Amino acid sequence: MSGLAWAVQGLIRRRLRTLLAVCGIAISAAMLLDMVMLSGGIEKSFAELLLAKGYQIRITPKGTLPFDTEATLAGASGIVGRLRRDTAIESAGAVLGASLYGRIGDSLVTLVGYGIQPEAQGVYQMQRGRDLTPQDTLGVLLSPAVAGLLGAGLGDTVSLVGRLDPQVAAAGVSRRLVVRGIVRWVYDYRGQPSIGTILPVMQALASGGRDDSASLLLVKVRNDAEVAAVSDRLRGEFPGLEVYSVADLVRFFKQRLVYFRQLSYILATMSLIVTVLLITTLLTITVNERLGEIATLRAIGIARSTIVRQVLIEGTVLTIVGAALGIVLGLGTARYLDSILTSFPGLPAAFSFFVPRRDSLITAGLVLMVTGSLSGLYPAWLAARAPIAATLRSEAT
Amino acid sequence: MATHVRRRWVLAAVLLIIGAGRAEAQVSELAVERRLAEELGLRVGDTLRIGPAVDSLTKLGVVTAIYEPRPDPAEVAKRERHVRMHLPDLAALLGAPDRVDRYAVALRPGVTPDAAAAALNLTAFGYRAYSSRVIASESSQTFLVVSRFHRAIAVITIVASAVFLLCIMLLKVEERRLDAAVMRFVGVRRRTIFGALLLEAAVIAALGSVAGSGLAYVAGAATNAYYRRFFDTGLTFSLITPEIVLFSVGLSLVLGVAAGAAAAWRLVHTRPLVLWGRG
Repeated sequence: MSGLAWAVQGLIRRRLRTLLAVCGIAISAAMLLDMVMLSGGIEKSFAELLLAKGYQIRITPKGTLPFDTEATLAGASGIVGRLRRDTAIESAGAVLGASLYGRIGDSLVTLVGYGIQPEAQGVYQMQRGRDLTPQDTLGVLLSPAVAGLLGAGLGDTVSLVGRLDPQVAAAGVSRRLVVRGIVRWVYDYRGQPSIGTILPVMQALASGGRDDSASLLLVKVRNDAEVAAVSDRLRGEFPGLEVYSVADLVRFFKQRLVYFRQLSYILATMSLIVTVLLITTLLTITVNERLGEIATLRAIGIARSTIVRQVLIEGTVLTIVGAALGIVLGLGTARYLDSILTSFPGLPAAFSFFVPRRDSLITAGLVLMVTGSLSGLYPAWLAARAPIAATLRSEAT
Repeated sequence: MATHVRRRWVLAAVLLIIGAGRAEAQVSELAVERRLAEELGLRVGDTLRIGPAVDSLTKLGVVTAIYEPRPDPAEVAKRERHVRMHLPDLAALLGAPDRVDRYAVALRPGVTPDAAAAALNLTAFGYRAYSSRVIASESSQTFLVVSRFHRAIAVITIVASAVFLLCIMLLKVEERRLDAAVMRFVGVRRRTIFGALLLEAAVIAALGSVAGSGLAYVAGAATNAYYRRFFDTGLTFSLITPEIVLFSVGLSLVLGVAAGAAAAWRLVHTRPLVLWGRG
């Protein structure tokens, strides 16, 4: 009988305990899988989100992260002009974020406004209608949430106001704009009521047009390999601004979500410990129960190494079956856990915490397999050192 | 030098400055957060150039106080640093006189905050009134999500523990096959054997629960020590309350006894000869 068949037969003989062990390993493997996905997923998902439109560099006011505060940088058009003249840069555009209001009858609804440069924008994707042109001072783009909120469709006119003054109960700026398109704002949270106009219109709504300001600048470098070098160069050229490559932003983001990464490491380690304990305990007791059988095998000339191999195979089979079930279970629980964490207020709707990465999944699988297989070492050692004569005599009485 | 310049810029951005009170002198008084003071090497009496932007550090500020902010879980991961100024100083610095981000309103006795907020919102134009309760509820959304995540992880852990416990109890009871067979041969009743095995399971579950509680206290203390140092805060990250201990111990005991009962029931309903290995 081959080692594998011997191991499988041994496991089948004790169905209930095998079933329980497999269940335990499956849950541990699912937890391990989820935590591996969590630890690497945050980074991957965030990087993908930032690179959704191919812009590898963000420039913000000094000391701030993109859209982390209401700070703006002055002279945006001039800076964009300088960036566009740089031969290493494919395109550059400014984005201004502002709070403004949409008028529905006599009431106002609060909206998030984006001022963009349509020829170089990295914050939305068209869903319906057409994009704004750089000189389109009468057009507006709506998110589906705002379209629903204002009851506006393509071609409709919407009324937007900004700079409300509570003392005189009047709006400082008012614009009537035509809906050109419905778009998905890449960095919006679920249901965020966002609208977009060309930059000068939004500057007018936000500050009366006095400031040529922007919240951030987006830069697309021609060659991906030059992103770090271009970032460094831009830091030198614009010492009064903050220049971030996607890698820099991912690092900041990881720092903010360090708790989840560390939690994932701790829980993954605990999952491995549970797997080791489960397999070791099960195999140790199984070996103790089968000492007579093992002694008989040894008495008829089966080598110690064969016995050790068979016990190790038993542990490996348990691990493989448990891990296979664990993958299915883990993918299901990951979706559930992801649905919880992605309900964080203000988190972009496109963001995901649990993202399967091939390299990390392979690493997790290998660690689980090696750990599970090695868990059989102690029981295998017990099996190998069982005294043949004494065990057979004891079994006979 | 670069570090010094960068720090000055961060300070100069004045994005985190919170206004309070009024100023009397042209040189603004600054109350600097302890962590920022440590990072910049600031002491009371130091003079700083401050401004609304990096290229307009036109005003002077004197550090008149270094304060320890109240630990705030919402701020802990942001690593933002704060400076407090008199409101008129800040307004003048930002070039936005007579403008504020928000008002705090204290109500007369008998007026409910929700009713007052509703009354203000009826005539609100350019502002919105909220009761403290609503603000607290909104600002705690993040922690509610974290709490839900923790609960989900806890459920998975409990299921894993239950399976693990059941498996261990089954093996533990299975170890007593020969003892049970002998007892059955000498006429000991099934109920007595079942009771003995159940008692054994309960003792093991109790010992495990006590050990687990001790381990949890150690792990909690280690977690708090680590994260307090990591985030330089006085926040409590792991809180083990008597209710949590009671729940955990109770659950462990119930699961342990249930698992032991299931395994013992299976054992006592197996024929003695089978238990002896001759069936």
